[in-house]
Amino acid sequence: MEVKFNLNGLDVVYHVKPGEYLLDSLRTNGVKSVKKGCNASACGACTVLVDGKPTLSCSVLTASIEGKKVMTVESIQEEAAQLSEYFAKEGADQCGYCSAALALVVHALKEENPHPTRQEINDYLVGNLCRCTGLQSQGNAVEKYLGGKK
Amino acid sequence: MKVNEYVRADSLEEAYSLKKSSPKNKILGGGLWLKKGNGDVDKLIDLSRLGLGQIKEEKDYVSVGAMVTQRAFETSPIIKKIGGGVLSDAVHQIMGPAFRNSATIGGSVYGKYGFSDVITVLLGFKVDLVFYPEEVISLDEYVKKPGFADGILTEVRIYKSSAKSFFKKVKMTALDYPILNVCVTKDKDYRIVVGSRPLVAYLCEGAMKYLNEGGKDIDQAVELAMQELKLGDSMSTKCEYRSHLARVYLKRALEEVK
Amino acid sequence: MKKNFRVVNNVTPSIDGKGLMQGRSFYTDDLAQQNSLVIKLLRSPHAFARIKSIDVSEAEKVPGVACILTKDNVPHVPFTRAGQGYPEPSPHDKFIFDDYARYVGDEVAAVAAVSEEIALEAMKKIKVDYEVLEPVLDFEKAYENKSVIHPEEGIHEMFPIGFDPKKNLAASYEMEVGNVDEELKKCDYIVEDTFYSQAQAHAMLEPHTCNARLDEHNRLVVYSTTQTPFHMRRIMSKTLGLPVEKIRVIKPRVGGGFGGKQAFHGEMFCALVTLRTKKPSKCVFTREEVFGCSYTRHPMKITLKVGATKDGIIQAIDCRALSDTGAYGEHALTVFMIVGSKVLPLYNKVKAVKFGGHVVYTNHVSAGAYRGYGAIQGNYAVESMIDELAEKMGMDPIKLRELNSMKEKETSPIFEIMGEGTEGTAMIMESCKLPYCIKRGRELIEWDKKWPRKEVGPHKVRSVGCAIAMQGSGIPFLDMGSCTIKLNDGGSYMVTVGATDIGQGSDTMIAQIVAEELQTTVDKVIIYSSDTDLTPYDCGAYASSTTYVSGNTAWNAASKMRERLVKEAAEYMNVKVGTVEFDGKMFTSGEKSLSLEDLATNRLYNQDTRQIAVTESFHGHVSPPPFMAAFGEFEFDTETFEYKMIKYVTVTDCGTTINPMLAKGQVEGGIIQGYGMASTEEVIYNDKGKLLTTNFDVYHIPTRAEVGELVTEFADSYEPTGPFGAKSVGEIGIDTPPAVLCNAVYNAFGVRVHHLPITPERIFKAVKERK
Repeated sequence: MEVKFNLNGLDVVYHVKPGEYLLDSLRTNGVKSVKKGCNASACGACTVLVDGKPTLSCSVLTASIEGKKVMTVESIQEEAAQLSEYFAKEGADQCGYCSAALALVVHALKEENPHPTRQEINDYLVGNLCRCTGLQSQGNAVEKYLGGKK
Repeated sequence: MKVNEYVRADSLEEAYSLKKSSPKNKILGGGLWLKKGNGDVDKLIDLSRLGLGQIKEEKDYVSVGAMVTQRAFETSPIIKKIGGGVLSDAVHQIMGPAFRNSATIGGSVYGKYGFSDVITVLLGFKVDLVFYPEEVISLDEYVKKPGFADGILTEVRIYKSSAKSFFKKVKMTALDYPILNVCVTKDKDYRIVVGSRPLVAYLCEGAMKYLNEGGKDIDQAVELAMQELKLGDSMSTKCEYRSHLARVYLKRALEEVK
Repeated sequence: MKKNFRVVNNVTPSIDGKGLMQGRSFYTDDLAQQNSLVIKLLRSPHAFARIKSIDVSEAEKVPGVACILTKDNVPHVPFTRAGQGYPEPSPHDKFIFDDYARYVGDEVAAVAAVSEEIALEAMKKIKVDYEVLEPVLDFEKAYENKSVIHPEEGIHEMFPIGFDPKKNLAASYEMEVGNVDEELKKCDYIVEDTFYSQAQAHAMLEPHTCNARLDEHNRLVVYSTTQTPFHMRRIMSKTLGLPVEKIRVIKPRVGGGFGGKQAFHGEMFCALVTLRTKKPSKCVFTREEVFGCSYTRHPMKITLKVGATKDGIIQAIDCRALSDTGAYGEHALTVFMIVGSKVLPLYNKVKAVKFGGHVVYTNHVSAGAYRGYGAIQGNYAVESMIDELAEKMGMDPIKLRELNSMKEKETSPIFEIMGEGTEGTAMIMESCKLPYCIKRGRELIEWDKKWPRKEVGPHKVRSVGCAIAMQGSGIPFLDMGSCTIKLNDGGSYMVTVGATDIGQGSDTMIAQIVAEELQTTVDKVIIYSSDTDLTPYDCGAYASSTTYVSGNTAWNAASKMRERLVKEAAEYMNVKVGTVEFDGKMFTSGEKSLSLEDLATNRLYNQDTRQIAVTESFHGHVSPPPFMAAFGEFEFDTETFEYKMIKYVTVTDCGTTINPMLAKGQVEGGIIQGYGMASTEEVIYNDKGKLLTTNFDVYHIPTRAEVGELVTEFADSYEPTGPFGAKSVGEIGIDTPPAVLCNAVYNAFGVRVHHLPITPERIFKAVKERK
């Protein structure tokens, strides 16, 4: 079936199977920044923004995003670059497999709640697993990044 | 899981007649549990165009559309006003926001999942479920009766309450299913709920009756609840520890809301 | 010894962090060729069965199926998937496909088709006739069990490792220094106890992934998310009968390894499918396969007897261990030996030490390499026992550790006797700041205020626990790395290394070392790593070897490059080599000067043109251990025994931290991974031997909500044999949390939990049993 939606500012038409998940559609169509970690809505590596909201693309049928706006990290390149500098300062990046999804979630948090407390940051990012860093450094980086925003 | 056709229903009538026409036709909720389901789906019915995504304040109750996401529910100021915000707090503890942006209240309720935090906390209140075409049934009844409803769940009505309330989800990590969840509220009457037993949440009516008829002894109420509760083993937790947790948290809950 | 560093030991952002956060797609599956055949694996539903026959005729008829591999049509050569050097210390007990299935999930056939859907559909049509056999699911009953898991012919050990498959033994080991029984008789205090640890999952976020294609020379090119590309090439060559020169292995960006990617996963299948069909192929494990069909940590039972005299000196340690290697013997012996060799030397005042036991086969998921292997299991047991001993002696557990643990310039006889799979190497601790680490950590956690416990509210108590640890830095004389540096026009350097960046940041660390030695900046150093065609050899990322071995390699190469540049500049300027000074940008000799950029341009385009390049290698003669003291504070519910981490303090001696933030990341990442093993990572099999905890919704790794305050400090230390004074730091972080938590639980409730993970339910049971 045909699904029309807006991907990173461009209107696109994907030809998909009725039971196809957005993660698979995106990767098949060359959007490889979206990662498959668990395929069970439990790790967050596949997070994209649908109409601005963090959404697990492994668990959303592509058919259901007809007419919606989907954002991947490609649409927030500058912001991801800035955030990565905070990650670097805190030693919060390692393998990077969770990084692009984290950038999107941080972007959504900033839109929803520009000055979150540390607890609010942890709550908002809790669905994004990271096995490498020990997690505290990532929280520090996000806290400083958002705190440093005008 | 294979889906043969994806149908965006234009009316409840259409959705309902599709659902009734074959057991292989399914209603799509948030879609999060779809993957875990067994068997292929012939027609998957999308309700997103039917205006079921609203939270509205009515005179006696709050109307929550079946397609309202857990995240919209949790952040709604209307929902936060009920029972001191316990509904928001409980739903906030489910997985991460990205999960809750997809998971729907209707899907959580309809499926009667044993691990549901939504059902446990809703059972702490008077709640009616509205099914298309014409059934209205209380949540208390719905969880008790076997099987699933024939109609399409369109609305969850939560009757306004300023009850004192307690909710606890016992879990290993933030992304865990509950090992046990407990919700106790007290408005005029007590409501005592234990979920993730591991079966679906249970309303401890014996203990409620004792307290609601003037019983004062919390230990006695806990004892009554423990007698009527059927707790069991799950993959990760044995019944013995689950019972211990139920006992401890029922007591703490009753002391907090009394 | 120590000098003012400009690049190393300074905060330097990882060189790839920005690109990865921006979504640059360089992980293995991102690079799979379009239209690759998709390989899915048919796996055994039985824990133990003989495969009588496989009928693929119906499956082959499914349109879109390109190739089906079974035991009937693949090479039958025994090998080990462990991904080690040669000859391997693991038994060659695995065939690509075999007549037996040895765990639920063991590979029975591979189907390659034009889509995943078709591959799965075809898989359903494969008919396998199984003779179901009685599985061995209790590792304590595996030795000499009547069910023999490896009855097949042809399997063998490469050198004596105690391999005796007819007894279900993958390996065994015994050693003794002094006479433990005699020394124990002289002790005033003896404690004895047994500890069980579980089959922890690596749970790296990127699943096991590989793909293959033929290049324009019809050579096989395999992309794999591996820690050991060179070992992979060798093992493929030997097993498939394909010459090494016909194989290229490329390691793209790796999304976390932790030892799990040292071994083989889908590579043999991809290689065979592509060789046979001449088409590109790919194999991506599902998360369920990553958990249930790859490798786990070796579950162990460790029984310890420790004796001390009244003066507080530990005189003897007797350590018996039993390790469950599961269906295959990857790392069976090496993991086992580490239990002794990287834990017991911590207490080097002993007069006698005994260590030994069996590594048995069972019908569980195979165990393999895993960050901190052997050490974490041993540390849980030994460091719990030290607390038990301290209590029996009425001594502060920190004091007992201070009295008995390793100090600088000391040694342990164990180093010489036990290595990793072979004999060890004697060494003196040239750097050991463990006493400082203990003292500093004690202050940071405020031990004297908090030990053993404090009530902090109604049914809330806080307690503290501590443990110390050591690791190694590569395997002496075996682990080797090499590095080529060439000068580009413009004056930048192209560095190719075999060293394998698996997310830990080794590319950044190597760039820093090269930049430091060549007095330049990291942006002038371009790193390309881990491609068997293009980079020189490296053993790979394991055994905490990268900073020490690959770092030394890069340091050697950079200093050789420096010499070479000075020589070239002297020739160009027509002066004596000894008169030339080089500051990273300019060569000067008296009045004459020459820029690096001009030298590079000249040598590439103008005069006596040639490529200025050097290649150097390194292997260690010692394996200097990093040391750590760790202290945890936890808050417990005294009725439900639920708990949370409040604070975890570590002070680490890893020599110079080449990249302080990455080193901190290694320590903290290790701690939380170890804390997962200690607290939440329950592994559950059903009674048929099927692993049930196979996704993140049921296997619980710590999330942001479970992590308390991490206080991570490093001791001021300099290891003379390390690059700019560095030792390793990749594994040591993981070692302490099980013992720290176990000791804190004891300090809170007076019960010791002998099984990992230490769940509230296990504490509840222990408290109940005491009553």
